[in-house]
Amino acid sequence: MARLLDMVVSAVLLAGLYATMAYGLGLIYGVLRVVNLAHGGVIMVGAYLGWCLYVGFGIDPYLSIPLVAVASFAIGVAMYQGLVRRLPRGAAGGPASLLLLFGVWLVLRNIAYLLFKGDDRSIRTEYSSQSLTLLGTHISINRLAVVGIAILIAVGMHLLLKRTQTGRAIRAVAQNADSCTVVGINTNRIYTLTFGIGSALAGVAGVLLATLFSFSPGTTGSPELLKSFVVVVLAGLGSVGGVAVSALIVATVEVFAILVLPSYLTTAVGFVLLMVVLVLRPGGLFGTRVLS
Amino acid sequence: MMAWYQGPQARRFAVALVVVVALLGVLPVIGIDAYIHNQLTLLFITIAGALAWNWMGGFVGQISFGHAAMFGIGAFVSARLMLSLHLPVPLCWLGGAVVAGVFALGAHPLLRLRGPYFSIATIGLGEASRLVFTFWEKFTGGSSGLSLPIDSIMKYQLYWYALILVGLVAITSVAIRKSSLGLKLLAIKADADAAADVGISATFYQDLIFVLSGAVMGLTGGMYASYQSFIEPNDMFGFDRAISFVLIAVIGGVGVSLGPVLGAVVFVLVKIYLLTSHPDLYLGLYGLLLILVVLFEPLGLTGLYRRIARLVGPKRPAVGQAK
Repeated sequence: MARLLDMVVSAVLLAGLYATMAYGLGLIYGVLRVVNLAHGGVIMVGAYLGWCLYVGFGIDPYLSIPLVAVASFAIGVAMYQGLVRRLPRGAAGGPASLLLLFGVWLVLRNIAYLLFKGDDRSIRTEYSSQSLTLLGTHISINRLAVVGIAILIAVGMHLLLKRTQTGRAIRAVAQNADSCTVVGINTNRIYTLTFGIGSALAGVAGVLLATLFSFSPGTTGSPELLKSFVVVVLAGLGSVGGVAVSALIVATVEVFAILVLPSYLTTAVGFVLLMVVLVLRPGGLFGTRVLS
Repeated sequence: MMAWYQGPQARRFAVALVVVVALLGVLPVIGIDAYIHNQLTLLFITIAGALAWNWMGGFVGQISFGHAAMFGIGAFVSARLMLSLHLPVPLCWLGGAVVAGVFALGAHPLLRLRGPYFSIATIGLGEASRLVFTFWEKFTGGSSGLSLPIDSIMKYQLYWYALILVGLVAITSVAIRKSSLGLKLLAIKADADAAADVGISATFYQDLIFVLSGAVMGLTGGMYASYQSFIEPNDMFGFDRAISFVLIAVIGGVGVSLGPVLGAVVFVLVKIYLLTSHPDLYLGLYGLLLILVVLFEPLGLTGLYRRIARLVGPKRPAVGQAK
């Protein structure tokens, strides 16, 4: 029974990380209809930025989050203005953008490899190994903080999208970009902003990832991209609350897979889940159909 | 409509193919050093794989990041057939191809997906099969891999087997592209719903192409395994391998029937050069190449070639040639 509680708790804590990783990917897809294949790359960049700030300047990873967010925002803006915007009209959602952003990912991976070599790194702080004891289960403070930040981000996103003029513009562009130009919304600015916010969220997710797990240029990126995508697809597109719920589902399935599968194969669970979800519920649990 | 094997264009292709294959076929007889012999063998295998990828990625427009799954399955099934049943080597390759084709058919549910959904699902397919096959030690030897009983004669002869494979795959590429099947695929690529309205089932034709492409992938995987004579699941099913096919096709020209040939030649040359001089720039350079191709020349080297040919070549009246 205690073990069950342990597992439920660790699923919830893992879900916080997954939700944070998925917000950015979902936002960019929801507004631009572009699957950001460089998402995993930006997560990796965020992890390295957090690590550099911690090791180089002694800045606590949780304090470095705003800095990393700003830097990743700039990367996102550069990616949109420099690359995605230049795609021929109509090609933005097609194979061209996939290949383009995939190229960006390879470049980011290579840069990380040149700068930091292929070693595994992680952010270890004094409180990394501390934990609270609640109802007989140990809860790592670090993981709890990650969940807290994930909730903060969800609330922040919700307020931004629903309560601000910019948020309304973003939602309007997601619904119908052509009509937006008619009423004087600068769609290019909104796209740039969205790409920036999406990347900033990915960067933040990277810092959180780095406080929990080790990372390296070779291994970080594709699992994160795939997990984010599973969460986003399961949630259905354009649903912030849905992302949190489906992150919880994905994390629960992964944590409980340990009961029936050898630990080596639990990594494959996410990939299998992705395929199952895409095939059975391509519209997600909370969204609309996306199959053409 | 003229059949794909009729007309002056087809004749030119046939002549060119026969000449090139014949020339490459006699090269080892004239005598080339072992290094070039090996690199050419590898090049042929690479070209065959990239051409097969292009059927799915170029003709149907479904970018697959998971073709390494079929490549790996072909490799390990053929290796198993050699080790356990001691069948003749070419038969083992065919066995691998059949299993890879059946596996591709098993991926049928994924083919309902289009665009980015398909692409990302194939990442899942590739990675899941990599993990499962690495775990399945009885069959694949796990992360310590398998050694294949390939003698030096077989390895030498592999050159011609691979050359024949490339020839056949190239003919198939042109045949698919220029036949009515190619037009159907083009219709599906442009708009699957509209294609369905005129009676072209996207599901059926995608299945067909995915199975064909997967079987050829299995065949190339088997030959590659024989070439290496040692295989390991993390490498064979690896993501880097999966994307190499994507890169080659994109660099050469996505959807152009023989574009990947050009792409593979450049890819292999660049790889040989980079691995010796700047091994640490290897991925990034391909990434950069990918970005440049997508932004400036969506048809890759083929597009570049056509542009140059238009600039310097004789002014020929445009004959109704499909792009």
